[in-house]
Amino acid sequence: MNNLMMNRRRFLKAASVIAAAVTALPAMSTFARVLTDQNRMDALEKAVFGKMLKIALPAKGSLLIDPATLPVLPTIEGALLAGMAPHIRSGLRGGIGYFNGGSVAKYGDQFVNLSDADAIAFVDDWSASSNTPERALSMGIKKLTVLAYWAIPNTWGPLGYDGPVSEKWGISSLGNTPEPTV
Amino acid sequence: MSTQKNVLNIKTAADIQASNLNIEADVVVIGSGAGGAINAYELAKQGKKVVVLEAGPYVPSTKFAEMLAVAMGAMYQDEGGQANTHGDITVLQGACVGGSTVVNAALCFRTPDYYLDLWKKEFGLKNLTPELMSGYFDKVEKNLSITPNAKHETSVGADLISGGLKKLGIEEGIAKRNIRDCVMSGFCFAGCKTDRKQSMLVTYLPWACNHGAEIYADTRVTKINTQNSQASGVEAVVIDPKTKEVKSNVTVKAPIVVLAAGPIQSPIILQQSGIANSSGQVGKNFACHPSLSITAMFDEAVDDFHGATHSLYVDTHTLPEEGGYILLNAVQEPVEASFQSEPGTGKPYVAYMEKYRNSIRLITLIHDKNVGEVKLEEGVKKIIYEVDDQDFEAMKKGLKYNAEILFASGAKYLYLPTSNKTIINSVDEIDNVIDQLKNEPARYRYTSFHPQGTCRMGADPLKSVVNPYGETHDVKKLYIADASLLPTSIGYNPSETVYALSSYIADQIIKANFS
Repeated sequence: MNNLMMNRRRFLKAASVIAAAVTALPAMSTFARVLTDQNRMDALEKAVFGKMLKIALPAKGSLLIDPATLPVLPTIEGALLAGMAPHIRSGLRGGIGYFNGGSVAKYGDQFVNLSDADAIAFVDDWSASSNTPERALSMGIKKLTVLAYWAIPNTWGPLGYDGPVSEKWGISSLGNTPEPTV
Repeated sequence: MSTQKNVLNIKTAADIQASNLNIEADVVVIGSGAGGAINAYELAKQGKKVVVLEAGPYVPSTKFAEMLAVAMGAMYQDEGGQANTHGDITVLQGACVGGSTVVNAALCFRTPDYYLDLWKKEFGLKNLTPELMSGYFDKVEKNLSITPNAKHETSVGADLISGGLKKLGIEEGIAKRNIRDCVMSGFCFAGCKTDRKQSMLVTYLPWACNHGAEIYADTRVTKINTQNSQASGVEAVVIDPKTKEVKSNVTVKAPIVVLAAGPIQSPIILQQSGIANSSGQVGKNFACHPSLSITAMFDEAVDDFHGATHSLYVDTHTLPEEGGYILLNAVQEPVEASFQSEPGTGKPYVAYMEKYRNSIRLITLIHDKNVGEVKLEEGVKKIIYEVDDQDFEAMKKGLKYNAEILFASGAKYLYLPTSNKTIINSVDEIDNVIDQLKNEPARYRYTSFHPQGTCRMGADPLKSVVNPYGETHDVKKLYIADASLLPTSIGYNPSETVYALSSYIADQIIKANFS
């Protein structure tokens, strides 16, 4: 399907789904869901998230860890997409396709093919857009990408953030509170 | 009689092998959060056989990771992705044994008399007098160790904001929390690993089990059964949390049903069951206390990582006539900080996150009108809600007040939580920048921790779902005990209101059925 042919109703639905989905942070390790074939990323989604990761977190010359060295896309897929309901997953796929095609009119090519400078300009254009779905898609896909990066504990060191503390501080559990006697 | 074992008597999907399960009980409670747990305890204590069905998983505190990302996936509704249909307001709720009490910030406020008076006048709740409710507040405060923060229970950010408030001559509120001997890890939203927070997981649920209550986790109620307009039990399914496949079909026969699945799921269950809606109000009147955080940047690192998650509030303008907003400080980890602001894509964003150590935040939360609706469409849950225009004006006033306080606290510049870059560089710019904000969907980064109001309580069966004593107008012996009861939003964190109201409803159930 040509994503640019998506009608406005579907467009709005996809934008909302993405904006909602980005708040679903990764369920990692013991709580991770089983990843079904339907929930895996397709090639376009991998390309869109990959491009967004590259332009959103240009770590070179900064304190940050290069996102290319971290499993950010597997975190998005294995943690977020794995637990997604089918109707939400389907809407997300459509929205990402629409976002990718949205840059053609002004920048002459799909998002995944733009230079980094043009891709950044496109994302910022849509974030400031007067069109609600454009804002939702731009903000949503970027948030999803950076959240998956910051959910990986290796990224915290350069920020000076020390992460979990209870075990490190040697804090013991108080256990269940005794039942009131009156 | 209490066994005093004080542990959970719980079964999860992993423990259940039978494809069909038939249970008989005196009371079936749907949901194990504040309303469900309190009713389970109070009714089990009467010697009644109580079964609690919880749709979420059982996550013991030993497995809490002190990482918000992990907690969202394991313990929040829709893995933290629950939102309104526009997708611009995240509606956070706990979805695990203990419900939202496991992942809230433990902040407690008594229901202001203003709202009890309003509910009396507009909804006929003459029974919920300040005098009556005071006794219930006393009771839950004692049971849950709800006390004002000690002087040391604060955070770096709260101390900075406190300094700003002093400079401006603004009165500071000291938070009351349901917590014992807080170690100030700052991980309330990820669950309290050392069981200091007095969630239902460590209080009312084990207490209920002391009196024989049984808890089933991973068990989603699909229908409330009725006979002759009277509750008779529920149908449910046990779902494997990893594969999402149904493991067992459950039928519970019980003459009393307490629905306490929360303000989103409770109306959905009623709609699925096709009951209790002669008023047409089930799912209507949804409110959620939308909140926006302003991120303040300081010249130097302040490391506002740990401490009391919330310790300070400003409620000088919280009642509707005073402005309709409250300000709350909160510590935040990088995952939260990473999406609170929009500094621009690429290098500006990297520069922003490199200064994470220099940042603090102050939240503006508004009392909102009950303009939303929760409904089931083609089997899909929908939260239909847009911020009302008048409420947005209250938000703007609250953001201005917030910004003024942050600058007085020593902030050098502020990020507003908008979709595109919006910075305030000085006090002089506050009005100009905030006056330009328009009430538009997908423009702001809203979070709601307080959904409420979808099964409104009231005396008039034509305008409300539940009578003043917690029983539905239409279905006898079907009680509701969660924040869906609240006839209006209350502007303050509603947890203590739910604790007290649930205790009251438990007493009404006992009086009507067991006395």
